[in-house]
Amino acid sequence: MKRIYAIEELCLNCRLCEVHCKTAHSLSKDVFKANKYEEPTPESRVTVYGNNFASAALNCRHCDDPKCVKACITGAMTKDKTTGIVYVNENKCIGCMTCLAVCPYGCIKQGKAAVKCDLCRNENEPACVKNCPNHALIYVDKGGEEK
Amino acid sequence: MKYIIIGASAAGLACAEQIRKEDKDGEITVLTKEKYLPYSRPSISSYLKGAVKENNMYLRKSSHYTSEGIHIVTGAQVKIIDRKSKTVKAGRKTYPYDKLCICTGSKPFVPPMKNVDGKENALTFLDLESAKRIKRLANPRTRAVVIGGGLIGMKAAEGLSKICKSVDVVELAPHILPSILDEKSAKTVKKHIETEGHIKFHLEQTVTEAKSSKNKIISLILKNGDEIACNLLLLAVGVRPETELAEKCGLEVSRGIITDPATMQTSDKSIYAAGDCTVSVDMLDGSKKIIALWPNAVNQGIAAGSQMAGGKITINKSFSVNAIDFYGLRICTCGLINVQGAKYSDKVICNGDRYKRLIFEGGRLAGYVLINSSENAGIYTNLIETGMDLSSLSGNLFDTPNPFLFVKPVRNKLLKGELDL
Ligand SMILES: Cc1cc2nc3c(=O)[nH]c(=O)nc-3n(C[C@H](O)[C@H](O)[C@H](O)COP(=O)(O)OP(=O)(O)OC[C@H]3O[C@@H](n4cnc5c(N)ncnc54)[C@H](O)[C@@H]3O)c2cc1C
Ligand code: SF4
Ligand code: SF4
Repeated sequence: MKRIYAIEELCLNCRLCEVHCKTAHSLSKDVFKANKYEEPTPESRVTVYGNNFASAALNCRHCDDPKCVKACITGAMTKDKTTGIVYVNENKCIGCMTCLAVCPYGCIKQGKAAVKCDLCRNENEPACVKNCPNHALIYVDKGGEEK
Repeated sequence: MKYIIIGASAAGLACAEQIRKEDKDGEITVLTKEKYLPYSRPSISSYLKGAVKENNMYLRKSSHYTSEGIHIVTGAQVKIIDRKSKTVKAGRKTYPYDKLCICTGSKPFVPPMKNVDGKENALTFLDLESAKRIKRLANPRTRAVVIGGGLIGMKAAEGLSKICKSVDVVELAPHILPSILDEKSAKTVKKHIETEGHIKFHLEQTVTEAKSSKNKIISLILKNGDEIACNLLLLAVGVRPETELAEKCGLEVSRGIITDPATMQTSDKSIYAAGDCTVSVDMLDGSKKIIALWPNAVNQGIAAGSQMAGGKITINKSFSVNAIDFYGLRICTCGLINVQGAKYSDKVICNGDRYKRLIFEGGRLAGYVLINSSENAGIYTNLIETGMDLSSLSGNLFDTPNPFLFVKPVRNKLLKGELDL
């Protein structure tokens, strides 16, 4: 499956990926509203770590054998059999954060339900990748944990 | 090949699904004495407080079992495992097996108390059925008492506090959540729970006797002589491995069923065991203990299932990891927490309501307790699991862990996987 990878050398720490991730996961889908007004505040699933000297945007790896899915105590976290996307069913999730406690990459955020990257589900290209002006995020079909 | 699994919860379901991954034609039958398809046991406290609906508690859609060819028989309590004829008996039916997995989980441990046994309003809190009964009994006039200030007791108390007039918790230890918290952090958590949930604690206390009328408890007498009103009593002192079937058929059992720690095979080559009913070997200190937690049950179930189907997956990494919250206060714990001895050290950083305690064994991370500071805790968990040498890190371990904690080659692998860019 295609996954998102970050290239530290190209990242400028501008955090536009976070802005666009929030927008993609907002109700309004409007950059301005999503980042300024909307309630509940949409959350970015991608996080830029580092500083102005070295930074990178971290995203879920959509692991082949995802620890978060195995640890989920409610069956809310699943890996889609056909797309490979690892995502949360928010109706089932009780927000216990066991998944967060086992993700070795640090890709889950706390919320009422677990918050994580869903590769924008049915989009051709995830919003963060599409909107990174520095090509520091790529969406490709190899590498990672893939066998 | 005929596979029988006893118990349809975390371990049993993981076992069945793993078998199906590795054996497309085998006959898989899962027997459970409960009347429900596999559901999330930990969610019963969310159900009690009304945060989750019953139909969202089921681990899989019922169609999943048909499409996977996993036959789940509800209401089927296994009474006998006959190792000679390789059969198990549930009700009037006999099920032959080639490979059997015992995933019978935990049973409640109830300490002896005068005049409590058999009372209508004294219940344990371990399954959906008990949660439903408690929900029916509890109302805004109820004065509830929970015996046991561990994880299950405190979760029950939180749920009840949303419904009942008052909730009292009686705990034998000097502080609450003794299995996951140290004294200092437990104090912070207790205060939060007292303020948010109006729960009253009776620490270092036990119930000596109950007063009753018409087969119902009306009050409890504590060791110190105090009497507390009670019209709903929850017994949540602890759980013990459910090992009755295994013992009766002569398998090796100590506190839990004894298995090979890698393959989950019991002392009988055709029988495996997984989950809360087994003794785990903690990879961090080699000690044998009962790890009654969901992720451990799933991992053991997967290993057992793979081995039963002739596969290769083993488990060699049992350790505790737990995340829980009380009225918005998040607690995350992992590894060795209550350890003593010269080889361990720890360091605490406390900042307002954020508390971070890391436990070290020499130059490696051995455990953590995080209160309101669990961001990216999985990175710590991974450091514990892999036993990484902390001196190889480039960032400050006490900051929120992230890829920049690691030196560039390691970080690159985290960010780019095996890609050569
Ligand atoms: C209220 C509560 C909250 C919890 N919260 C958490 C949490 O936040 N995080 C966490 O990691 N863990 C939590 N746990 C623990 C977790 O639920 C267990 O570790 C997990 O369920 C163990 O799974 P298991 O498959 O080994 O056994 P169990 O879930 O105990 O299931 C065993 C099954 O076997 C059945 N069975 C037993 N004997 C027979 C028989 N003779 N014939 C047929 N069927 C039989 C039982 O009825 C049961 O359905 C919680 C538990 C409770 C009760
Ligand atoms: S959240 Fe973490 S464990 Fe789960 S699929 Fe993503 S990277 Fe893997
Ligand atoms: S927070 Fe939600 S998705 Fe994560 S383990 Fe808990 S129930 Fe599962």
